[in-house]
Parts: sequence; structure tokens; C-alpha cells
Amino acid sequence: MTPKRIGIALAIATALLVVWNQRGVGIARDETVYFSAGDRYAAWWVNAATFRDHASIAQTFGGAMGSEANPEHPPLLKLASGLSHRWLPFASELTAYRMPSAILHGVCAWLVFAMTLELWGLAEAILAVLCLALLPRALFHAGLDCFDAPTMTLWFATVYAYWRCLDGRKWPWQVGVAWGLALATKHTALLLPFALGVHWIVIAWRTKKFDHWRVAVSLAVLGPLVLFVLWPWLWLDPIGHLRAWLAFHLHHVHYNFEYLGTNWNAPPFPWHVALVTTLFTVPTATLVAAAIGATRMRGKQHAAGLLLLLSAAASIGPFLLGSTPIFGAEKHWMPILPPLCIAAGVGAAWAARKAAAFVRGERIALVIVGGALVLASATEVVSAEPYALTWYSTLAGGAPGAADLGMNRQFWGVAARGVLPEIAKQPPGPVYTHDASPAWGWYERFGMLPKGHPDSGHEAAGIAASKLALVIHEKHFNRHDYMIWKAYGTVQPIFVLRAAGVPIVSLYKRP
Amino acid sequence: MTKSLAAVPALLLVIVSLWEVVAARCDATGVPDDAAWDAAAALVRASAQPGDLIVFAPDWIDPVGRLHLGDKISVDMASRMDAARYARIWELSIRGARAPETAGLSPVLALDVEGVIVRRFERAPAIVISDVGSQLATATSDGARPTLELAEVGFAPHRCVQVTPVPGKPTRVTFHQLHLGTKLVGYAGLADVFTRRDIRAPGKLAVEIGGRTVASITPGIDDGWVHFEATTQPGDADVTFVASADAPQRQICFAAEARQ
Repeated sequence: MTPKRIGIALAIATALLVVWNQRGVGIARDETVYFSAGDRYAAWWVNAATFRDHASIAQTFGGAMGSEANPEHPPLLKLASGLSHRWLPFASELTAYRMPSAILHGVCAWLVFAMTLELWGLAEAILAVLCLALLPRALFHAGLDCFDAPTMTLWFATVYAYWRCLDGRKWPWQVGVAWGLALATKHTALLLPFALGVHWIVIAWRTKKFDHWRVAVSLAVLGPLVLFVLWPWLWLDPIGHLRAWLAFHLHHVHYNFEYLGTNWNAPPFPWHVALVTTLFTVPTATLVAAAIGATRMRGKQHAAGLLLLLSAAASIGPFLLGSTPIFGAEKHWMPILPPLCIAAGVGAAWAARKAAAFVRGERIALVIVGGALVLASATEVVSAEPYALTWYSTLAGGAPGAADLGMNRQFWGVAARGVLPEIAKQPPGPVYTHDASPAWGWYERFGMLPKGHPDSGHEAAGIAASKLALVIHEKHFNRHDYMIWKAYGTVQPIFVLRAAGVPIVSLYKRP
Repeated sequence: MTKSLAAVPALLLVIVSLWEVVAARCDATGVPDDAAWDAAAALVRASAQPGDLIVFAPDWIDPVGRLHLGDKISVDMASRMDAARYARIWELSIRGARAPETAGLSPVLALDVEGVIVRRFERAPAIVISDVGSQLATATSDGARPTLELAEVGFAPHRCVQVTPVPGKPTRVTFHQLHLGTKLVGYAGLADVFTRRDIRAPGKLAVEIGGRTVASITPGIDDGWVHFEATTQPGDADVTFVASADAPQRQICFAAEARQ
């Protein structure tokens, strides 16, 4: 098998792994917004392209921040999700919505493979992709109809395209288009020019030439242009709507997030949140391999090692400032993962080759070292899914160790799916669902929850109207327990869903 | 020697990987399951007396503890001011954790039930002569009427008297002719995580007996359930709690007991 075919096979396997894994993952609160928005966007584009009547741009893409059209996020992934839902009848509805993110994760695997193969070798490339595919949190996020994993892919696509475009080509359009796609996925892509800019200056300084000015022009012209073309909301008022988009994220509300035993909901946050969270959410063996690999990445063409380092730094750097919202944890700095996995692949392969003399050959050494590394990651994946937001690596002591340390238990209400079978056993009646409320109707629609258990509403009124009540365990959600105790007159749940023994959802029944 | 050192990175990587394989499975399966909790709960049920306090440690296992023994824990017990009035405390713990309610106490019973450690503690309880929560109906206020709530204060449940003073205008809540012992023990804090997030200013609570301030605390957004205590003369006296704040929506929630 040629290296190219190996890469394609790994990319397809990665995408399939995501599709397979997401089948057990509950519906995230944010996904419900993107499902609806994606359907609207897809209908608008399809109708516009076929010259049929269609809703106005303002109705489809606009409105206030936080409104149904979701103008606070650019449209690319939502559009892809809507088209997938429209055009993939063979998949379940939920899988269809999530398919674009899964495919993009496969693309990420391919890009990691391609760059690593080009710079280091086949063994390094295979190991890097396997490390990436078997990151439990990344696998989880890639299975959601959300922007975080796709952003990682398109961020890295931009980095790779930029690096390839340093070959002196006359029309380096690829880097501008890739960045435009990244911008059309999530605002965090705006950080990328800091990495590329510094790298560009370094190589210009080293060579004493400004050979690659076309790359900068491509980024400056094509990036914004692609964003503009893909986002009809900008067509109406480019500056005003851009300003509103960025202002929303610059002044984003700070959601509650537990870190080392403290509930954080306002800056200043500890400077080490991103570092410690990364240490605890990447398999330990992968971290060790990456640490070894980081020492072996110098001296490559166009300072590729420096580029990967800068890319990771631009992604995670803002979270060291103490003022950037931390509520999304590792999902907000996912673009550090491709460089980290490349370093892990390089480190593991280098270590194996150094030890080849002791095991009668390089191949055997690669199988032993690489196999151990992959086995460790695979074990963590098995431990993590489908409640990967509760999972932490062995370095933290797994989910129970992280609970001891006071690390965030979960967010988005995803785990509510795990109590649906218990609810189905109960007599019909309204359910107080709090954080799972946005997903509740979708669970019914997708056939995961039988009819007769509607959402009872919000807060005290919702509890008063309920026959069953669930609490999704996060520190700041403790208050839901207390409201239920007061209304039901009991502190005893009838079921407690656990991940690795750690409570994630309690279900109460009105006596 | 140099040749041997060349294998160190690979060896390190293999050892860490194998450790992770084993440790990850141990982490994922190391927390006692329902069978263990059933057995531990049965032990407690066999010997528990009405009014015994049951606590769990670490705090994150509390839902599992209540799943198995919640019928033995009343809402009032779960939302207690503190544990001082309880003569017997059952502590069910895992992973070597201890509940704060048993700090400094020695168990009279300690058994390992399939990984759940069951301990029983006995001690002379505080004798409560009166508490403000039960006297709220006869209390008077010069501002908004205080309410008895089951509130989240410091992410824990507390049955407490809640007052939301107008900024700059203290609210005085007076408990008339409250039976007092040798000390008045209380706690206060700011209820509701969302108002604590959105408004960062502290609240203030002062306690006056016979017109004299005997205790004063300033609970902030991260202070949780703040303890106060004052020496008192046994007998009846008017006790006034003065809640004040410079910012709006300071939901000051307090509880206090007169103890012998």
C-alpha cells in the first residue's frame, strides 16, 4: 500500500470512528440551535441556487445576537450540517446533522498525515494520525454538530496550506481560501494570522528576502472574501455586522466553570487553566511522546517546527491571559492538537528507532513503542466515551480523580441522554429537564424518548409542574437539587447516572 | 553505556503507556458500585437511630449516597445550619475522603464495606434553645418581609432566613424575646450563584442584642456560608439582624441558633 493510500485509509477510519462514537452521545444544548439554523441556511441556499422563492437574508441569517438564526456565529458548518440533513437520507437525522464535523475530522487526520509524511516519514505520520484519532475529548467534539473540531481542522488546513505555499508558487490561493473557510466556521480563526505573521517575519528575517509576499496578499484578500461570500448576513451591512459579530465575542458572558474546586464565572481566571486542562485531557502517553518529539522538530523546511509551535501558541495563548472566557475548556484551544499529535508521532518514532538495536530491527521497535502508545490512547477512549466531558486522563486519576480535584464535570447537558431509558420506564408525566431543556424535543423527535414525557418548563414553575426531575451535575447546578428537594419533599433520587463511578445526572420522582 | 541510554526514551514511553493502560482501567472501575453501597446502607439502616446525621464523602459522591440512604435524610437535615446539634453521625466515604462534619472526631465504629468506609461518631451535641428560622413568623422587619428559604449558599443547601436589602438602606429583622443561652451561633452568606456572578459586591450582616452589636460579618461572593458567634446572657432578649449592602440583589441568607 502506498503512503498516500495509507493516509486516505486512516482519514476514512478516523471519520468512521467519529460517526460510530457519536451514536451514544447525547444532544448538546448548542447543537439544537445549529440544527435549526443549519436547516434554514440550507433551504435558503438551495432555493436561491435553484431560483425558487426563498426567505430574506435578514430572516434566515440575521436578527439579534442569540436569536434563532444564530448570527453570532458564521455559517459554514451550520450550512454543511443543514445540507447533510437534507441530502443524507441513509443516516439517522442526528448522524446526518453531525456528519460534516465527522468528515472534517477525517480531513484533519489526512492533513496531519500529509504534513508529517512530507517532513518526517511514514511511521511518524501514521502514529501522529492515530494519536489524533484517539484523543478522547477531540473524538467527542468531532461527533457533535458544533464548531470546535471543524475549526481545528480548518485552522490546521490553513497552517498546512500556508506552509505549502511557501514553495514560491505564483498563485498561493490555497492559504487564503483555507483561512476564509476557517473564518466562516468560527471567530477563533482570527487568531491565526498572529502565528502565520510571526513565522513569515522570521523566515523573511532569516533569508533576508521578502519572497513570500503573495502568501500575505492571499491571506489578506481571499480570507475575508471567502468569509464574505459564504455569509449572506455580511452582504447587507459588511462593517456593521462584522463589528456586531466580533463585539459579541469580545464581551461574551462568562458561564460557570469549575476548575480545581472553585466555580469560576468572572475574570481574572488562573493563568494555568489551559495548561492544566490540556495535561488532564490528552492521554498521558501522547503527552510524553510529544515532549520527546518536540526536541526533534527543528531544522525542517521553512521552519515547519516553529510554525507548528506558533500555531499552537496562537490558539492557546489567549487563555493564559486570565481574561478570556474559560467555560469551553479544551474545545476552545483544540487547534493545539494537530501540532501536539505530530510531535507525538515524531517523538515515538524517533524513540523507537533509537531503541531498534535492542529489539532486532526498526520495524519491531516501531510496533512495540507505537503499539504501546496507541493502546494507551485507545484505553482512554474506551474509558471516556460517551461521557467524554466527564473523562480526564490517568494523570488526573480519571473521572474520579478529577472529581476529587474539583475539575469541571461536564457542560451542555449532553449526559441527559443516559437517563432517557430510566424515564421511559416511568409513567407518563412532565419532566423538569433544566439544562437538557433545549434538547428535549429533539430527543422525542429522534425517537430516543417516548411520547408522554414533555419538558415541564423552567425553574420553580417547571419543577412544580413536573412528575420527574433531573439534575445534570455541575457545581453551579447544585441549586436545582435544592429546588427539587423543596418541591418534592425528598432528597432521594430514584436513579443516578454515573461515568466511571462519578455522578453525572440524578433523576427524581415526585412521591 | 551510550548505546544503552539510547533506549531510554523508548523504554520511558512504553512504561508510561502500559501504566496508562492499567491505571485508566483501574480509575474507571475503582469507585464502589451499587452493590457496595447497598451493603453499606444496610449496615447503617440496621443501627441508625432517628435523628442520626448521615453524611457522605467526598462531596461529589453525595447523590449516590442519597440514592441509597436518602429516605433516612430529611430535607431539613440535608439543609442544616451545621452539624453541632447531632449526637450521632454516620459517615460513608470512599477514596480516603472525610466529611467536614466529622473533623476532629474519633469513630466509635469503622468498617470497610466493599470499598465504602462506614464510620459512626458519637459526641455530646449542642443543646439548641431556639433558632431564628422557626421564630420567623413572629419576627418584625422595617423593610421587605424576610422569607424562610432552602437556598443555595456557597453551592451547599441551607435553610435560612433571606433578606434582600435596598442598597444603602439596612433592613432590620428583629426576633422578639428570643430565648437565649450562653451563646448565639450563626452563619450567613449570599444566595444564588447567578446574582453572585453578576454582582460582585459583598453583603453585610450585623447582630444586635439589646441594642448592642455582638457580631458582624461581611460575606462576599466567594465566601460561602460564613460562621459568626457571640456570647449571650441566658434569658429572653430582642435579637436584631441588620442586613445591608451597597449593591442591589444581595440575597443575604442567615441562620442562627441560641445554644445552652
